[in-house]
Amino acid sequence: MKKNVKALFNWDMFLLCVLILEFVVFGMKNPKFLMPRVLLASVNDFIAICIISLFVTFVMITGGIDIQAASIVGLTSIIIGVAWQDGGMNIWVAALLAVGAAALCGALSGFFIAYCKVQAMVITLGGSFLYAGFALLVSNLSATEAYKGISGFPDDFKIISKFKLFGVVPSQLILFAVLTLIAYLLLHKSKYGRSVFLVGINQKAAEYSGINTRLIIMSTYILSAVSAALAGIMLTSYLGTSKSDLGSNLTLNIITTVVLGGTLSTGGKGSAIGTALASLVIGILRFGLPLCFKVNTQYLDVPVGLLLIVVVVGRAIASSPKTAVFLKKFGKA
Amino acid sequence: MTTIKKLTKAREASSLLFLVVLFAIVGCINKDFLAPSSIMACFNDSVVFTLLAVGMAFAIFIGEIDVSIGSNLGFSAAVVGSMLRDGHSFVISFLTGLLIGVLVGLFNGWGVAVLKIPSLIFTLGTNGILRGMIFLYTGGAWVENLPPQFTAFSSKPLVSNLTVYYAVVILAVVVIHILLTRTKKGKYFIAVGDNEGGATLVGIPATRTKVLAYVFCGVFASIAGIIYASRIGFITVIAGNGYEMKAVAACVIGGISLTGGLGSVIGACIGAVIMSSVSRILVFMGFSSDYDNTITGLMLITIVVLDALLQRHSAERIRRERLTNRAASAAQKGGEQA
Repeated sequence: MKKNVKALFNWDMFLLCVLILEFVVFGMKNPKFLMPRVLLASVNDFIAICIISLFVTFVMITGGIDIQAASIVGLTSIIIGVAWQDGGMNIWVAALLAVGAAALCGALSGFFIAYCKVQAMVITLGGSFLYAGFALLVSNLSATEAYKGISGFPDDFKIISKFKLFGVVPSQLILFAVLTLIAYLLLHKSKYGRSVFLVGINQKAAEYSGINTRLIIMSTYILSAVSAALAGIMLTSYLGTSKSDLGSNLTLNIITTVVLGGTLSTGGKGSAIGTALASLVIGILRFGLPLCFKVNTQYLDVPVGLLLIVVVVGRAIASSPKTAVFLKKFGKA
Repeated sequence: MTTIKKLTKAREASSLLFLVVLFAIVGCINKDFLAPSSIMACFNDSVVFTLLAVGMAFAIFIGEIDVSIGSNLGFSAAVVGSMLRDGHSFVISFLTGLLIGVLVGLFNGWGVAVLKIPSLIFTLGTNGILRGMIFLYTGGAWVENLPPQFTAFSSKPLVSNLTVYYAVVILAVVVIHILLTRTKKGKYFIAVGDNEGGATLVGIPATRTKVLAYVFCGVFASIAGIIYASRIGFITVIAGNGYEMKAVAACVIGGISLTGGLGSVIGACIGAVIMSSVSRILVFMGFSSDYDNTITGLMLITIVVLDALLQRHSAERIRRERLTNRAASAAQKGGEQA
């Protein structure tokens, strides 16, 4: 057990080092990168990845996977737009409605996974189709053509993404910090978090020790869906338009972030801090490469994909018994 | 009698039934749909998905998954398309395309079978890399101006409405099905997917079989890429985006269990036809094809949930039968002793 904690600590340290390295390299290449205004504003671009992966971590610790979160972002966005513009609702009520709808989506998928025991992969795959489809249907309810998106939101809705504490710290960063704290407390300091881990390590044992494992599993999907809804609200507010295909390309980034954060995809191991650090590593990478190395933003899937593969391959090699034998021999020699 | 029983028990039979009922219902609403040319178009149009689904079936047979095939299709299509455009011979271009498929398959197989990394995660990484490589290779531009004889071949009919492509693919699928169900080596895939430990104990090279499954998956995706290029006539940088998910859906609808070791390539074919007909069916029923994703998702979830419930039900029934049998025999024994 002690060794596990140590390894986790080391991994977080490693991520921190990578993050610092990124700052040094990007900063040396282009000093503009280190300007607080630029750096802090960059959070806008990857806040969705940060928020969602924090809570997809919960899902993956229970041994599941969630590839539908990205489609819920778009659904949230379009619900806000349509409910506000065509439904004549107050913008905050519309946002609340969107969060409620997202929670329902998460609960539906979670129900099938937890209570009908269907593989999480298939259900969330179906969910990603279904909710993206719903988003398109909702956008058809609107008088505005789907490709244009709905815009012209009231100022007090836009302000939630434009607000800056002390004139520098953007609201996204504050939200991210708060959510990280919540995720940390929930996962590592609460009874709920312990149950999540136990479900991931051994569901049967968890069941026999009196945990309602099905409810726990379902709740993680609701959490990740609600976090996707929050990301959707933030993005809609920041961009000023609501579109049904918002965030549709986030899946690779979210999964990469969670895995990079030290979460075991087979379940039972992971940390909120690790995911938060990993999301910053990926976010800064996606922000820094185009700014400092003139990498086209369309190529960004290459470094992210490479990172994912390098991390999982590295971890597989490091944990294989052959390596241990090799290291032992090496140590003796 | 036994063959009929076998047929009704086969998982692909229920998918075939679903396909027939689906077509019949659409035919009732709009008679034009049942015209031979329209029905054949459903089959002919499914050729790319059929190839993808058959490849994916190999990955799913062994209990894994490969979500890199969409980008693999796009990348192969872009490379083969641009080589043909630049005047390379057909043979060289096609071989390059196949080579890409083999290499991608070997890479995925190495990660999943040798390093034992969860397949979804590893192939998701491969997917990102390949998608980015399409951008790098084409510079973001479309690959256009493919040779006319290449694109014209896609609509060439073999007999009446059946295109050469679909005929060849169906023939290949039948051959693969026979190889998989009748030969010793072919049964390895299902065996490994059903019980890897058990398969290893009876002397099946599990790792090699898994790598081979990924190579097949990659090759089928690159063949699908070549046919995609031939049918569409131009290749954008997002060609094949999301196709991997539809291929998984096709396999599931075709009765292949995602836990591995269950199903057949014939089922994958039927699933592919259903999947690729959804948007056509919607149009014939007078809906916008915007409903495409919704219907696909709905179908996928309904089918897997039903399947899971039915399987649990039958497992429960078998357990109960076993328990009552045991109780009965115990009672009998007790009676004898007394």
